[in-house]
Amino acid sequence: MNKIAKLFITLISAITLTIATISSSFAKVEGEYIVLGSAISLTGKYSSNGVHTQNGYNMAVDRINSMGGVKVGGKSYKFEIIYYDDESNPKRAAQLAERLIKQDGVHYMLGPYSSGLTKAIAPVTEKYKIPMVEANGASRSLFTKGYKYLFAVLSPANQYLEVAIDLAVEKNGGKPVKIAQAFEQDAFSQDVRLGILDAAKRTGSTIIIDDKLPKELNDMAATLAKVKATKPDVLVVSGHTKGALTAIRQISEMKVDVPMLAMTHCDAAKLSKQHGKKSEYALCASQWHKNLSYKDKFFGGGKKYDKDFKKEFGYAPPYQSAESSAALLVFKDAFERANSFDRDKVRDALKATDMQTFYGNIKFGPGGQNVAKPMILFQVRCKGDTCENKVVAPTKWASDKFFHPIPKWSERG
Amino acid sequence: MEKVKQKDLILYSGLIILGLAAPYLFSAFKVQLTYLCVLIVLAMTWNLQGGEMGYNSFGNILFYGLGMYLTASVQVGMFFPLAEWTESGGEKTFVHTTAQYFQGIGVGLLVSAIIPALVAGAIGYAILGLRGHYFAICTLGLGIAAGEIAGGIEIIGAGQGFTTPPFPAEIVDVEARGKFFYFLSFFVLVLAFVFVKYIYGSRFRLILNAIRDNEDKAEAMGIQTMKYKIVGWMVSAFFCGLAGGIMGGLIGYIDSTDVAFDGREMGVFMVLMAILGGKGTLWGPIIGATLFHFFKEGLWTFILGWQYVALGVLIVVIVIYFPEGLMGWLREKYPERFGEVIDEKDRKSQVELK
Repeated sequence: MNKIAKLFITLISAITLTIATISSSFAKVEGEYIVLGSAISLTGKYSSNGVHTQNGYNMAVDRINSMGGVKVGGKSYKFEIIYYDDESNPKRAAQLAERLIKQDGVHYMLGPYSSGLTKAIAPVTEKYKIPMVEANGASRSLFTKGYKYLFAVLSPANQYLEVAIDLAVEKNGGKPVKIAQAFEQDAFSQDVRLGILDAAKRTGSTIIIDDKLPKELNDMAATLAKVKATKPDVLVVSGHTKGALTAIRQISEMKVDVPMLAMTHCDAAKLSKQHGKKSEYALCASQWHKNLSYKDKFFGGGKKYDKDFKKEFGYAPPYQSAESSAALLVFKDAFERANSFDRDKVRDALKATDMQTFYGNIKFGPGGQNVAKPMILFQVRCKGDTCENKVVAPTKWASDKFFHPIPKWSERG
Repeated sequence: MEKVKQKDLILYSGLIILGLAAPYLFSAFKVQLTYLCVLIVLAMTWNLQGGEMGYNSFGNILFYGLGMYLTASVQVGMFFPLAEWTESGGEKTFVHTTAQYFQGIGVGLLVSAIIPALVAGAIGYAILGLRGHYFAICTLGLGIAAGEIAGGIEIIGAGQGFTTPPFPAEIVDVEARGKFFYFLSFFVLVLAFVFVKYIYGSRFRLILNAIRDNEDKAEAMGIQTMKYKIVGWMVSAFFCGLAGGIMGGLIGYIDSTDVAFDGREMGVFMVLMAILGGKGTLWGPIIGATLFHFFKEGLWTFILGWQYVALGVLIVVIVIYFPEGLMGWLREKYPERFGEVIDEKDRKSQVELK
């Protein structure tokens, strides 16, 4: 026992020393840098969207830094971001937020990817009164908790597919429709579901299938079999990137005929590339599309952003990247208006944000959600073998006509 | 004997003082320290049936998650309608007063210790008849099933997740929350240690070891093995539930499969930590958990994206070079320091026999 005790004490003292040496604190504004912190999913089930988010952040940081940086008190500062990998796990995200704030001394945060992780981080940032601008947490319940330091540049999740139901009713001659729906069991998708429930109630439509899909889903054949049997007017699926890919793969394999298919995350899943013609006619909710005519001085417009992003990262930017870039524009704007690094002044400046970015207009409602930007719907359309996303709703931005109903598989080439 | 006890006393009081002073010494690391306490509790109690009894359970995460949901549900349900709290977009905002918060978490933790223990008793009665790999696989299913079921129960938030009550706003000190959870977890750690230490000195441990070494023989000797197996698992469940309850409050957000019934991480970690330190020893799981936590916190951020590869390598290294864990390795190298006396004559005679 004696020796073990000694060993243990030695171990503990060694550890103590190590911690003591690394616990010297860091500063939120170091020299000419404004340090932002972010936990991002680089591994785990959200890794692809996490990387889209990170690319969006990095793109905006480079752009803002190279175009003069952030001017506060007559001096020009540059942005710098400290990243940690949250492993797509809320527990880890909350712990990392604490670490960023307490150990790395970060005073301003950028959001993680997904509603669930944002939900885990928000209580931490709120506790330490750290302003967080987030671009990927759309769950409605984030905005009903009275958070004061949370600002989201995107539209809340319940708005994602409500429009699609309206559209279906419109195409049905104003008569109620039969809805089949399947949602992943996570915070975001369940909120999309609530939006559909509201829309169904409003239009008097009935929901004939209401399935829950497991996380990390890669099979929804049971739902599709029911769809085949009951013939609904519209099928709604939401399950992040994997949900979109699984739905298209199995719908085409099982040759499920449904007049309208509405989904989320089609562009993050690069549906039109991955599945080509099989994904044609799918209707997708999106926060952003490059054809929209919003503008700002850093990225120009959507088309220019698309081009620059492709050049830098080698793929077309999904809306997750665009909204992430917008988050930094919001921060820059707020710092300059606050003209200070005082957290509460920055927070007040964020609250008063009213600006246009290439991504859309941004103005925060009382709960912190962006109230100035509508959701859009696009439809995958193909010409020969090349497929593209065409904006079909709302009419103000629509570049193409909505194609309805989807032809039967037997008639599709 | 007396001398050893005195040495122990110095060690324990030293550790307790260190434990009490830690949140002040390393103020910025309070959350990590809280995690460490919880991890040690999980490893130590897993070791009770995994190491001592020889029943490798991958299902202890069930009790951890159960404790998490129970604490949060009781804490909310005692004062407000639970269904409205968890309902997504429930526009009403309920606020716990300071007294309500602490009463709630107190009662919640009590419930989260007792119910998982009872559940362990009931499930144990059904499945502890299985042995070896069959038991391990069966328990593996428990955690996964629980996660999927919890993800479908509306009243605890289903797939939306469950936001646990925020720390009372009336307490202005931002450090208070961190300290509260640290001391809570440290208290549970001390409680668990004292209890496990007591078991180590009791007949109960010998029975558990007998079950591990040869269950049939133990039974033949008149030991009602089933009874002891169930009690052993209930003890683990008791502390796992407590640990889960604390973690739920600390994290602030419960997700069915990623936070509560997190078999992929916590469920595997607790086994790994016990094995790393050396299962079947008192200090092994503690050392294992500490090393593991430091490895994870220290190295993780330097190898962004590759952590799990590193973890995989670590597991392989442990299994190949330290199959008995660090304590087992030390024990083999320096048996005399563990109080194992080698009889030179006996050793020589054995060598001669060969």
